[in-house]
Amino acid sequence: MISLTETTEEQSELPFNFVPQLFHLHKDHDLFEDGDVHRHMYLQDLYCVSEAEDKSTPSISQFACHISGCSAVFSVLEEYEHHYNSLHRHVCCSCRRSLPSARLLDVHIQEWHDSLFTILAQTQDMYQCLVEGCGQKFRTNKDRKDHLVMIHKYPPDFRFDKPKKDRRTHETKKPQQIETAMEVVDDTCGSERVHDGLSDQQELGESMETHVSEEEAAQNYAAAAAAAAGGDAGLSAALHSNKHANSEMPKPQYSYRVPTTVCFGHGSVRGFRGRRGRRK
Amino acid sequence: MWRLNRVRYKNVGQSSKSSEELRLKRREQEKALRQARRDKQLVSKRLLLNEDEEVTMETTSGEQDVVSLLYKLQQSGSERETHLKDLSKALRDPSAQLTFIKQENSMHLLVSLLTGSNTQCRLHAVRCLHELSHSIHTNVAPACLPATPYLLTYLSGQSTKFTELCLYTLGNLIPDSDVVKEKLLAQGIIPALASCMENQRHNLAVVEAVGFTLSQLLQAKDAAEKIIPTVLTSCLPSQLLSVLTPDPKFGLAPAIECAWCLHYLACSKDGRELLAQGALLQCSSLLSSLGGAEGSKEGMELLVCPLLRCVGNLLSFCPVNSLSSQVGDVRLVVALCAFLQAYLHTQPALARESAWVLNNLTAHSGEFCSALLTFNLVPGLMQLLLFSQGINTMILRILANVAHKKKELSVQMVHLGLLSTLCSTLKMADQEMVTLSLEVLFMLVVSGPQVVDEFVRLNGVPLLEAIQYNSEGEMRQRAVYLLERHLLSDSSSACTVDNVSSS
Ligand SMILES: [Zn+2]
Ligand SMILES: [Zn+2]
Ligand SMILES: [Zn+2]
Repeated sequence: MISLTETTEEQSELPFNFVPQLFHLHKDHDLFEDGDVHRHMYLQDLYCVSEAEDKSTPSISQFACHISGCSAVFSVLEEYEHHYNSLHRHVCCSCRRSLPSARLLDVHIQEWHDSLFTILAQTQDMYQCLVEGCGQKFRTNKDRKDHLVMIHKYPPDFRFDKPKKDRRTHETKKPQQIETAMEVVDDTCGSERVHDGLSDQQELGESMETHVSEEEAAQNYAAAAAAAAGGDAGLSAALHSNKHANSEMPKPQYSYRVPTTVCFGHGSVRGFRGRRGRRK
Repeated sequence: MWRLNRVRYKNVGQSSKSSEELRLKRREQEKALRQARRDKQLVSKRLLLNEDEEVTMETTSGEQDVVSLLYKLQQSGSERETHLKDLSKALRDPSAQLTFIKQENSMHLLVSLLTGSNTQCRLHAVRCLHELSHSIHTNVAPACLPATPYLLTYLSGQSTKFTELCLYTLGNLIPDSDVVKEKLLAQGIIPALASCMENQRHNLAVVEAVGFTLSQLLQAKDAAEKIIPTVLTSCLPSQLLSVLTPDPKFGLAPAIECAWCLHYLACSKDGRELLAQGALLQCSSLLSSLGGAEGSKEGMELLVCPLLRCVGNLLSFCPVNSLSSQVGDVRLVVALCAFLQAYLHTQPALARESAWVLNNLTAHSGEFCSALLTFNLVPGLMQLLLFSQGINTMILRILANVAHKKKELSVQMVHLGLLSTLCSTLKMADQEMVTLSLEVLFMLVVSGPQVVDEFVRLNGVPLLEAIQYNSEGEMRQRAVYLLERHLLSDSSSACTVDNVSSS
């Protein structure tokens, strides 16, 4: 586990130390093995030009997913891309669920982990339609589901509406999946969990500090982001106002919507609760 | 004739065995040699064939022949020459060799024929000794000890064939036994080889044979203490270097043997003494011309390999300020890159060694780093980053050397697409590759602000975000640093824009 203090220490000195190096290799160095064998094949009259054709080309490097806890290895770069985009591209930093799109991740973070949403949802229509470009909002998840089935022709058993009980039992059976950072593999890469992130249940225990208004929230974010040079991108995407955009030159977009504080297992202590509290 | 015109391809084509059988035999032998090297037992012997013979392992009842032939030889007679010749043929058989050394006075008889007045008998006797020296049985070599002072004496010149036979016999005897090796050193084998080479430097068959015998000595386990210092103070190094101009008529073989000797010298701790003799310049020039040759000649890699090693190791001794004068033409980088590409698929080990030399060449020389860009070699190197087995880490080191030298070079490499290449290498399973990639990325990022924009545009940020929680500290710390200090310092405003555009 990385603690925040350890991380700060790591940053205190430059972690880069490359210096060009000359290598003097002694006679028995491993690098010389093939050449020596070849030399002695020649001495022993076993040299043959066609021998070269038997030799295999060096293999292509393997690729690996570097997400902590996930050690999937791929021989082709495309397989890596597919794996990464399917399982790690849109991951909630609080509960580490992987969502199929950036939009659904935003919606998930709001509905699951944002206590402001909880408060506002008691008096306003807060449940956004999941369909990109629809823009309608609903009072409850049930209303949204009806809308999705009626208007957008979603199947009635659409998985995003998985009832809370199912998940609870799942969690009680395997509590360590949620508690232990090392168990992320199951959560992050287990495809059966990919779509179950959007239930109507709020997890109040996961809530962060409450924002009184959208505007104040935005200011808080700006301050936090400035202090912590790497703000809560994903979360702010859900709550931000436009005014910061106007005051700055357009910057390059970060397509990756996972908060930079995203908790991929080991980093779970760096979820936005912890970070926000300690980093000032 | 045995002497190869380019390199010899015995057993190939002329054998009745099928090529599949041969390939199988080679594979088995290669496996055995590999294991021998790991056990530090990698030794070879060479058999100098008669002009009219082919390699055949079939021998006819050698044992019987040896005993009766020895008996006949003891009776002096007019047929001695024929019997001795028959004996030399019989001694090709390993069990006949054992029978021979067990016979009382057999070696004594052979030495007397070697030193007698009949020169034809001398030739047949040295042929017998040569067959014995080629034995697979390690107790045969010590039995030949009575002959060694004469073999050394005869190096001062009789005929080419005779000298060759003496040299290959000595060379074969060296690896079998420390006792033999110690005796040979005491009997002055090093000065004998030196004067032989000096006197017969125009006789390339002898030069090749001296090269082989010397290389046998230099491969001895205790060569660093007992042999290499003596060789370095003799005239041998300059003789060896003078052979590095292959004769097109005779072929590469003498240069191959001498280059291997130079390799064994250069990889020792005293290798720097070769620098003063201009060895680096000599080896580099030959490498450059081999690399520039149209199409690779058959067997050329047999010479390229030891030359690469000489250059690589000599570079590590070379003071930075005399690098240009010692290496000579910067176009050596072109040759090295040509070898990398040419051997990648046929001789990966040679490609790896070429990359090692290129690393040593670029480590402390801005001139050679610039040359990589001047000759447009960087794109080819970047393509090699996909290949594993040590090639890619060495290539990445070379690119890191370049980036480390000058910011302008970094900027040029970014224009050539290095950032998108790094986006691939950052995904590799090999942790050393990822860590090195992060090092290079850092050097590029600090070379100019546009690099950050470009990296972001290439979707590089998520790669670092993935690595920043990796359990491997080397990778993690570097990724975190890059993200927090260079890539996400504008994240609040970036997110705002992001938000605007997506809502
Ligand atoms: Zn993964
Ligand atoms: Zn969540
Ligand atoms: Zn809708």
